[in-house]
Amino acid sequence: MQGEVRIDKLVKTYETRQRKGLIKSEMKLVEALKGVSLSIRPGEVFGLLGPNGAGKTTLIKCLTTLLLPTSGEAWINGYRLTKDDNAIRATVGCMLMGERGLYWKLTARENLEFFGALYHLSPRARRTRADGIIERLSLGDIADRTVETYSSGQKMKLAFAKALINDAPLLILDEPTNTLDLPSARELRAVVRELNRDGKTVIYTTHIMAEAETMCDRVAIIDRGEVLALGTVPELKASLGREEVTRIEGVISAGANEAVGRLAGVSHTALTAVNGHTQLTVVSADQRALLPRLIEALVAHNALVQKIAPEEVTLEDVFIARTGRTLAEDTAVK
Amino acid sequence: MAATYSPPTLGQSLSSALAEARLRFVNISRYPGQLVLEIIIPIVFAAMPMLLGRATAGAQAGANFEANTGTANYVAFLLIGSNVFTIVSNAFWHMAYWLRFEQETGTLESIYLTPTSSVTLALGLSIYSAVRALITASVSYIAGCLVFRVNPFQGDVLLACAFIAVGLIPVYAVALLFGALVLKVKESNALIGLMQWVVSFLMGIFFPVAVLPPVVRWVALAFPPTWMTNGARSALLGVGFFFDKWYWDMGVLWAFLLFTPLFSFWVFNRVENGVKRNEGMGQF
Repeated sequence: MQGEVRIDKLVKTYETRQRKGLIKSEMKLVEALKGVSLSIRPGEVFGLLGPNGAGKTTLIKCLTTLLLPTSGEAWINGYRLTKDDNAIRATVGCMLMGERGLYWKLTARENLEFFGALYHLSPRARRTRADGIIERLSLGDIADRTVETYSSGQKMKLAFAKALINDAPLLILDEPTNTLDLPSARELRAVVRELNRDGKTVIYTTHIMAEAETMCDRVAIIDRGEVLALGTVPELKASLGREEVTRIEGVISAGANEAVGRLAGVSHTALTAVNGHTQLTVVSADQRALLPRLIEALVAHNALVQKIAPEEVTLEDVFIARTGRTLAEDTAVK
Repeated sequence: MAATYSPPTLGQSLSSALAEARLRFVNISRYPGQLVLEIIIPIVFAAMPMLLGRATAGAQAGANFEANTGTANYVAFLLIGSNVFTIVSNAFWHMAYWLRFEQETGTLESIYLTPTSSVTLALGLSIYSAVRALITASVSYIAGCLVFRVNPFQGDVLLACAFIAVGLIPVYAVALLFGALVLKVKESNALIGLMQWVVSFLMGIFFPVAVLPPVVRWVALAFPPTWMTNGARSALLGVGFFFDKWYWDMGVLWAFLLFTPLFSFWVFNRVENGVKRNEGMGQF
């Protein structure tokens, strides 16, 4: 069915060379996807949320036929992966690698028309489609300038435009708002919503939880090649049960973090750097009961606390609860 | 929205190939100096042995050359060699370096996301490269002949063009083989550089293949550029075909033309699948 994706136990392993000095090297097996199974319904915006290195891009590269999976099966728009690869490519619009996927010596219009030709559009259809996209994304002022003269944000916008050239029922967008300034990111998200209202299914990968929360009907949290949680945003938040989140900002050592983690009632903690401070996120069953002991433990470990606040559960908290780490950390697959 | 998929027609594939060729032409039009260089370099390249010959043999240069090669027109002989070398060299660089360059800039993954096959893309690239090389080589050959005051159009010009045209297809097929190698080992400059000099030596860029040692001569005959160069020289300058009659030499080039592309695409597809099975096309 158009716009539908079904993935069944998809595994991707590959060998990578590890350099050991000038001459020596050894091959290392990387398990990038460890049996991923999920279904994406037609017409929904589906978020793939996970830190860098979690396996999101590998999954997308498998779904877009850039990589051959080691085992498992997938159906995209009703076409079977590895059997109907040309059909899959023709019916998926994809934004991968951001600005790197463009020809910098060509103009936006030339880029769009070239990719239109690779999707086997007639010369007239290419021109009409390119003009329509340029207008929709307000690229008119820069459409006839070579891409090398664009700002990073303009290049990202054009990369997004390129994903629309084949008017596919399924759009796969890998970190589409990376390097965009706030207004441009907002504008792009609005267009994605509009396209979704027009009936397109969207797979949206991001490591920005707020973006996933506002954009996605359902979210899969991926880490180290596995789907850790899948559901609507309220469902995922509710999966933490009665647990609550407290965030403490200041100068907090790893020792303090460990001490807090050992307190009764604390299920998870994570220490991250935020705007030059450290931020300790504590997931616990009863915030009020915990607070005095929490402060005591921090003071005992010479923590300088600047702000302490109970907060609403976010998707990042769900991630922390599942992994004990934050989304900001790179989690290269082992 | 795009409805169900139907495989591209021959016309659609050709249109995609031409779009690829057009993209390259638009791109090179933004580097016009490169085209001027491609016209000048073969003349300079041929001028070096030409002037050395004049310096060492003086007025006897033509006669000495004729005694060993079958033509006194060493200027055209050397210019044909240097221009065919430029054509072959461009084929290697355009095909193999194209893959590497696109891999590094990220556009290789972009084009692999589309339903256009690598065969179609290679065809488009070959059209661009061949047209570019033929134009610059022709201009360079004629200009070189005029500079050194010899007639560029002596002999059978049409037959010489036929040898070059038929030879181009297996040359691009061999270049695609090197593209596959570059994709596999992720190293382009050294590989292409080495290959272009080996081929230039074997095809007899500045000398007839007959002067090579017997074993090397047999290796040389396994490369299409050797037959292209000798065919063009024989048609224009009468240096003698390998098989005495032009049509036998042409037949060998046709055999290369039929076999080499099939073999190259087979190898390329295997390498492509191997790369996809491992880290992917974009990994450089």
